[in-house]
Amino acid sequence: MSAIAMDIRRNRLMLSYLIVAVLLVLLAVAGGLLSDRFLTWRNIGNLLQQLIVLGMVSLGQTFVVLMGGIDLAIGSLVGALTVFLANFLEWRPDLVWLALPLALIAATGVGAINGLLTVVLRVHPLIVTLGMSSIIFGGTLMYRKEPGGSVPRAFADIAYAKVGGVPLSAIVLVVIFALAGLWLQRTRTGRSIYFVGGDREAARLNGLPVDRIVVLAYALSGLCAGIAAIFLTARTGVGDPRIGAALTLQSVTPVVVGGTILAGGRGGVLGTFLGVLLVTMLNSLLNFVNVSSYYQWVIQGLIIIIAVGIHSARRK
Amino acid sequence: MSVKSILDQKISRKSFIRGMPAVAAAIAAAPAIQIAQTSAAVAAEPETKPGYYGAPRTWMWNPNANTMVDTSKWKKDGPYTIGFSNASISNAWRVAFQHGVLWSAGQHRDEIAHLLVTDANDDPSKQIADIQDLISQGVDILLIAASTEDALDSVVGRAMEQDIPVVMVDRKVKTASNYITYVTASDWALGRLEAQWLCETLGGKGNIVMLPGIAGSSVAEIRIKANEEVFSKFPEIKVLEKQYCDWNPATGKSVMAALIQKHGKNINGVLADSALQGYGAIEAFLDAGYKAGEFPPMTGGDVARMYQLANQHNIKMVGIDYPTSMGITGIETALDVLKGISVPDKVEVSFQVVTSPGADTVSVKGDRHLLDHVSMDDPGDLSPSNGLPAGYNPSTFNPDYPK
Repeated sequence: MSAIAMDIRRNRLMLSYLIVAVLLVLLAVAGGLLSDRFLTWRNIGNLLQQLIVLGMVSLGQTFVVLMGGIDLAIGSLVGALTVFLANFLEWRPDLVWLALPLALIAATGVGAINGLLTVVLRVHPLIVTLGMSSIIFGGTLMYRKEPGGSVPRAFADIAYAKVGGVPLSAIVLVVIFALAGLWLQRTRTGRSIYFVGGDREAARLNGLPVDRIVVLAYALSGLCAGIAAIFLTARTGVGDPRIGAALTLQSVTPVVVGGTILAGGRGGVLGTFLGVLLVTMLNSLLNFVNVSSYYQWVIQGLIIIIAVGIHSARRK
Repeated sequence: MSVKSILDQKISRKSFIRGMPAVAAAIAAAPAIQIAQTSAAVAAEPETKPGYYGAPRTWMWNPNANTMVDTSKWKKDGPYTIGFSNASISNAWRVAFQHGVLWSAGQHRDEIAHLLVTDANDDPSKQIADIQDLISQGVDILLIAASTEDALDSVVGRAMEQDIPVVMVDRKVKTASNYITYVTASDWALGRLEAQWLCETLGGKGNIVMLPGIAGSSVAEIRIKANEEVFSKFPEIKVLEKQYCDWNPATGKSVMAALIQKHGKNINGVLADSALQGYGAIEAFLDAGYKAGEFPPMTGGDVARMYQLANQHNIKMVGIDYPTSMGITGIETALDVLKGISVPDKVEVSFQVVTSPGADTVSVKGDRHLLDHVSMDDPGDLSPSNGLPAGYNPSTFNPDYPK
């Protein structure tokens, strides 16, 4: 019985992916028709290069949302990490090999603390992560109010480098998404994220280490924010406490557009990946067709509501 | 929108569709309409508020050598595609500024094939993507108002490395070698002129309060230093207080109200570096029961409301706006670069000194009086130094430009 239910769910998920994929193709075709430069190799490279930051924070958000939570500390965390990286690298440009692992460890640690607080205090993750976001932001501002620091040229190049014409950052992103997808589907721990998100009490009764899985999901979100911060710092060359401000909400968009439901338990990283592609391509296309920026925000909002509307209409 | 500007737009749009050289038609048509309506304007710039065109005063009057940038290396044949990456249009100043850019591109249809515009919504991360998108679209030059000095530095430098010239406007990036020139206005000159006017108006003697902008912002701090240069020449001018007002009318009003409580009629002059807090300060005086003729002389600039209040209550003032017309100058500077015409390494647009009638001093003479600068019907938040056609109204203005 449950096997059949799983099957139906999987098919529904494939349908969700299909819808986003169709939207993506439509957008690409529209882009090609509206501008003869949109589908050039140069612009595709440009698009791929833009994926990594949004891609990584959305992946982190996917883990948390699948597990039934939400992480609103992502933006502040990314901002704080760019400040750390740029200032550290300005002080000792030769210690890149040390700065990057330190940033990733700190990011994972903050994520894990978020998870622990929701488990121990039993407070809604919205409140916990919002509070954490405020603490991190305030703490960063105490240290540095203005953007500052600098990075060595070789480090900045990782954001712009290409391997065989394909941006390095896009390759990194695809590999990480593939690993994340395999881990969620093929491993016991990965699958238990879905169980916890679907029905936390049932998961507990089935003997799953629910608390540990919650902490793990938030820690993974932190780790993803760390990777995003590394590429963002390379891209901008500075640490800016405010640079992540818009990322928190932006990280949710590809997740829900990709068919993962906010209640948890259903969805997947492929949908998020397609969602990231869709949002990035949409932003770029709106720049290409030179629509007034006022319309850009309207159109983005409409796409989100329409995409999510389609997903939820089919569930009824 | 005035009938005249609607008429102008129709003429230029029609001629563009017909494939005629649009600007030739517009130039031919514009003076005719202008002459029919008024006869006072100068023929060279028939339908705009004068004073924002021509060589910058700071360049002409610079007692030192100007640094000129040879742009022959960027010279290419038109028509050009210009990419304009704006930090945002999140306040009245930025909207009027963007209107200047669009309108100016419309005035240069013979040279500009496309003006591609992006808006980063104050998000440096989006602005980096915007600039990369513009480069992908094959722009000949980038005109950029950077959302932050630091975060955009790298991507702007990389654009120049790809042989795409960059002109900064309104806000620059950190490294000067990453762009060709920077279109701005001189906060030093602004600060000196306002302080000099106030000191001379007071006969070199009196108590003043300073109401600067945002603490720590370079614009506010430069203006304060320029003010203090002047004060150091007037030993009998006493600065009673200096309180930051965040360029916010509400803050300006509450700060000024407290200062009136504390010092009352001992305040002989108010130095506000912008009308944003300046008109708030006037409102505080009004609330405290000041009548026409009792107000101390004041400085300000940037929005119409202060000029209107000063006119209404007979307040002695000098106003200098940070001109949104630098958007127009930005497009003209970009065209100079593409035509291989040398440009200064910093283009400081000329602002206009606006005085209330009879308020000229020995050193500071008004370019125009209050009601030549604004009309009492203008919206209060209008930025008067827009250089746009007379009757400009930000909420209805919809410039036609080569998209």
